[in-house]
Amino acid sequence: MRNERQPKTLPASYADIEFENNAQRLPLVLCLDTSSSMAGAPIQALNDALHAWTRELHDDVSLSYSVEVAVVTFGGHGVCAWRGAQPLPPQTPVSPFVPAHAFQAPVLGAAGVTLLTEALELAVRVVAARKTELRASGLQYYRPQICLVTDGLPTDGTGHWTNAWQRLVPMLTDDQQARKYRLYAIGVGDISDMGEQVLRALAPNFNARLHGFPFRELLQMMSASANAEQRGAGDEVFEKIFARFRTQRPAWEA
Amino acid sequence: MTDQTGPGVLLNGRPVVLGPQPIKGGGQATVFPVAGHDRIVVKLYREPPGAEQERRLERMLTMTPLGGRPIGPGQPPELAWPTAVARGSKGEFLGYAMRRFGEPGHVQLVGLFTRAQRLRLFPEQTDWRFMLGVGWNLAFMTARMHHEGLIVGDFSSNNVVVDANGFVTFLDCDSIAFTDPATREEFPCLMQTADYAAPERLAGGPATRQSDDFALAVLIYQLLTAGNHPFGGVPHDSESETTVKDNIAASRSYVAEPGCVIIPRGVIDPTVLPPALLTLAQRAFGPGVTDPAARPQAQEWLRALDEERRLARVCPDRPRHSYGSHLTACPWCARAAATGHDVFNDTVPSVPTGPRTKQMKLPQQMIPTQQPSGARSLAIGLTIVLAILVLVIIVAAAQGA
Repeated sequence: MRNERQPKTLPASYADIEFENNAQRLPLVLCLDTSSSMAGAPIQALNDALHAWTRELHDDVSLSYSVEVAVVTFGGHGVCAWRGAQPLPPQTPVSPFVPAHAFQAPVLGAAGVTLLTEALELAVRVVAARKTELRASGLQYYRPQICLVTDGLPTDGTGHWTNAWQRLVPMLTDDQQARKYRLYAIGVGDISDMGEQVLRALAPNFNARLHGFPFRELLQMMSASANAEQRGAGDEVFEKIFARFRTQRPAWEA
Repeated sequence: MTDQTGPGVLLNGRPVVLGPQPIKGGGQATVFPVAGHDRIVVKLYREPPGAEQERRLERMLTMTPLGGRPIGPGQPPELAWPTAVARGSKGEFLGYAMRRFGEPGHVQLVGLFTRAQRLRLFPEQTDWRFMLGVGWNLAFMTARMHHEGLIVGDFSSNNVVVDANGFVTFLDCDSIAFTDPATREEFPCLMQTADYAAPERLAGGPATRQSDDFALAVLIYQLLTAGNHPFGGVPHDSESETTVKDNIAASRSYVAEPGCVIIPRGVIDPTVLPPALLTLAQRAFGPGVTDPAARPQAQEWLRALDEERRLARVCPDRPRHSYGSHLTACPWCARAAATGHDVFNDTVPSVPTGPRTKQMKLPQQMIPTQQPSGARSLAIGLTIVLAILVLVIIVAAAQGA
């Protein structure tokens, strides 16, 4: 009953892949804008929402069985991956993914520039790396979800607007078509028309421009999508869930 | 997700106010609490459900499935059957009411599949025997439903809940497939969950007894291995994305065909199943994948599980370790020694005689009492008489935080 290529019992060294659970995993990356424009009430709202969502995630028996969460932020001087509440040093070999039941929300501050492009690249990279890790352990995964949230335009390291994000579009388009992940791109607050266009280009299927900072609803939508993914729902279900989320706040609709 | 502030609906013509926050939102419907009635919930469809669904619910209200059986002491109903149709002020059909089966008293079956959740949500004494008993109850429920011509259809670890005594209740009754005894109208099951869907269902086929048998086999296997899905693992060759669903469709199960995939690390060896049960599992996950008729039926599981319930052994060394009578030594201790992970306990002593400070030995009076109480149920078709063993676990009250 065992596979020749695998030792009979594996060492308990897969510290970041929970040993006692070999359920099919659902990687979820929150890619969050923490640049200076988010300072004050918005970042507070984001922190509160993360906190409440974390509690809901813990309580959800079904989601906490297979969801694993990683956080990527872009603000300050660069981008940062978080392993739960812990920021990881750049280039660290540690995976930022934490099983949902053990996930702790980071407490985020807002400052600096909007390296959206780099952050999204990092998010895509950690997802790919996670898939490789999981596969090497014989573990399966559902289609990962990446949720990009921003209130502004991508900038470079000096805070100037940049169109570097365009270099991502071909890769993101291919990846989404190849069903490598579902990318959600959400504009909040006072995001401009131009900012919205960026999001549309990045995530043609799941983009939205929301009034205010409805982070709580946003995170609940991510949970609802994760749920649908677990069920093995068809694309139309995800579109429906997303449409419902979008249409909840008609205030921003023209 | 929706900011509805307590919508009002009519249940059997009587107005009730729903709680502002849904309890659970699925893709298709949302479940709300009812103000002033904590024993019932109302499920509202997200989109107008249509005349057929309305007729389905109306017909279901005239039926009393699995009725008439004396329910053991403390046993909840096996089905969260609709109790009333929910309508809007203009009489439009919106959903239905049913009894509430929520936490903490009732936990989704999936809660038994990881140690962290088992320890958090289930009685302290939860062990392999308990899992075996839950499997038996699940097979029993399935057999009874099939006997009455009901097809579970969307059978998964998410829509079955378990209570502290291991009694199971099936939640999403509005998706059950049945034929109306009065009009002979057929109501198919339109829902499915990929990880439990037999290949013919994944290919678009209707729900049948045999597709239930498939899901039942997966669930029982998961219970007996503390959560391992028999279609886990990834193929050797591929770079491709492989899911449980893919492995089911391709009939790739390491339980039936060892070596067909890179097995998930940490998988429990299938031989932890007693031989009779392993044989059934191998039939279900081998020939039974593509040949629905080859799948063991619920009654076969029942008989095999029944045998084992009587014979299960208890490990003298560690709490919550019990195992099948075919084994000469505790498999959970062996695994803990080899991997450092104890499937049923929070901490593992580093050496077998090591400190047990965190593993409190249960005081004598706290040890669960097994009482084979309950009645005999006559006739579940085919002259099979099933003894109902009601496992009553007396849960000690204080469990700390």
